[in-house]
Amino acid sequence: MATEKTVSLSAEARAVAARVGSLRDFLDYLGEHDQCVTWPDAILPEPDIRNISVAAGNNVSTGPAVIFDKIRGYPGKRVAVNVHGSFGNLALLLGMPKTTPVRELFFEIIRRWGSDKPLLERVAPEKAPVNENRVDKNINLYDLLPLYRINANDGGFYIGKACVVSRDPLEPDNFGKQNVGIYRIQVMGPDTFTLLSIPAHDMGRQMLMAEQHGKPLKVSVMIGNHPAMPMFAATPVGYDESEFAYASQMMGAPLRLTTAVNGTDILADTEMVIEGELQLNQREVEGPFGEFPGSYSGVRKVPLFRVTSVSHRNNPIFENIYIGKGWTEHDTLIGLNTSAPIYAQLKKDFPEVAAVNALYQHGLTGIISVKNRFSGFAKSVAMRALGTPHGTMYLKNLILVDENVDPFDLNQVMWALSTRTRANDIIVIPNMPMVPIDPAAEVPGKGHRLIIDATSFMAPDNLGADPHLVDRPMGPEIDALMQRLNELQKGGA
Amino acid sequence: MKTICPRCESPGVTQMHAGMENGQILWRVWHCKDCAYTWRDSEPAESIDPKVRPAWAQMKGVDIDSLRQVIPPARKPT
Repeated sequence: MATEKTVSLSAEARAVAARVGSLRDFLDYLGEHDQCVTWPDAILPEPDIRNISVAAGNNVSTGPAVIFDKIRGYPGKRVAVNVHGSFGNLALLLGMPKTTPVRELFFEIIRRWGSDKPLLERVAPEKAPVNENRVDKNINLYDLLPLYRINANDGGFYIGKACVVSRDPLEPDNFGKQNVGIYRIQVMGPDTFTLLSIPAHDMGRQMLMAEQHGKPLKVSVMIGNHPAMPMFAATPVGYDESEFAYASQMMGAPLRLTTAVNGTDILADTEMVIEGELQLNQREVEGPFGEFPGSYSGVRKVPLFRVTSVSHRNNPIFENIYIGKGWTEHDTLIGLNTSAPIYAQLKKDFPEVAAVNALYQHGLTGIISVKNRFSGFAKSVAMRALGTPHGTMYLKNLILVDENVDPFDLNQVMWALSTRTRANDIIVIPNMPMVPIDPAAEVPGKGHRLIIDATSFMAPDNLGADPHLVDRPMGPEIDALMQRLNELQKGGA
Repeated sequence: MKTICPRCESPGVTQMHAGMENGQILWRVWHCKDCAYTWRDSEPAESIDPKVRPAWAQMKGVDIDSLRQVIPPARKPT
């Protein structure tokens, strides 16, 4: 249920929210901060878009978004990649300097977390930019979109960053149960595509419902969206909670919605919307696809959709993502929004939890910093983390560090591992649920969990009681000194 | 030479699109009706040459009907 909770933002954040209403606005804004470039040379779809996307994503701190507008064989078509591919880009979206440390971004997301009072404006369909062009005859997705192969052994051309809107097949009028999610989409025929979901996901639930009851499932595939949308479409919120509402509150500014031909709500300023309908009980061969653990998923049979119409802005931008062996845009896009709900859920029961870093491969490895209330306390916190909605499937390796160790600073985490870990004190929990595409699973969907307690020892545990820890100077005074040194390095006084 | 699917080597392939440059066809996109592989004929050999593609990625002789279902259909398609 939507709450009345709202977010108060800094003046800078409010200015960004007022300025950025669409992907185009955000690309312009990134460009003004040297965070968006247009690739100057003519390129082939493969392997050039893949290679340049990887290169852009290799700089996790300040890698730029990249626009391609000279794609050979696709004259006039545009692709954008790596829009969420660096923490610098995320910081700018939140109205912060692009060099903001990841830890501060995490706490800014936490500050904005859990507010879902909808800030939504309605735009008449005939006035929505997405409806500047409509195609409902002779639809050919291969002609409308500059499609390309993301990884060399993918089974086809994927749309990897679209936000898919669907109504609950049994309660199509319920706004909260309307789902927005990112699912991998493989283009099949000129007007057909597969959409991969699993029964645990909202879309999978809706597919099962539609086929069980023989009801239509209509979807709108939104491509090239307001930058807040993919961040929240990729975040597990409750089934009856609206991703539109979360995304609008996160930005603190209204999102403009209009109504698609098939009745779903869509962003009025999105670049392109493909409307489609589930072909009940029909399946098509899908995959492989280079997935976020860095390995290819198998070839499977997946639900098939038929396109009913395509709407798009003039000169639309096909926003896509590079995903594969990390680090990739996928990790940056969802990492903080994966960490935030785990933190919020732990904090309710254990206020001693200081921060959660679940950036790695959608949280397959997570680092929790926590103040031990008593000896062994961190292990109890780890068990609770495994029981959170995301932890149930994803948190495979958990590292517990002290509250004064920054889990986002891997040098500090390694210090904790080096000096706090006792090899006979790690915990392996066998045969737990696991993400089916984790290649380390015993069988797909089942495997072992690892907990490493790298927190300090305390009574009645006498081990390691002798060393007296160095009180390392830290905090605002040290931050200011680092800033001063940085200025001196640049030639300042 | 007749175009075959680089993955399952079926001849049942359909052209989906042709990319143009200066009025000439630069590449074609093909789709296999049997294994659903899609490719562009300008791609590197690792994606489109059956002799270069990794053996694990090939589907010649694979029984399509036996592939795993992610969401099993509720009933037979009508």
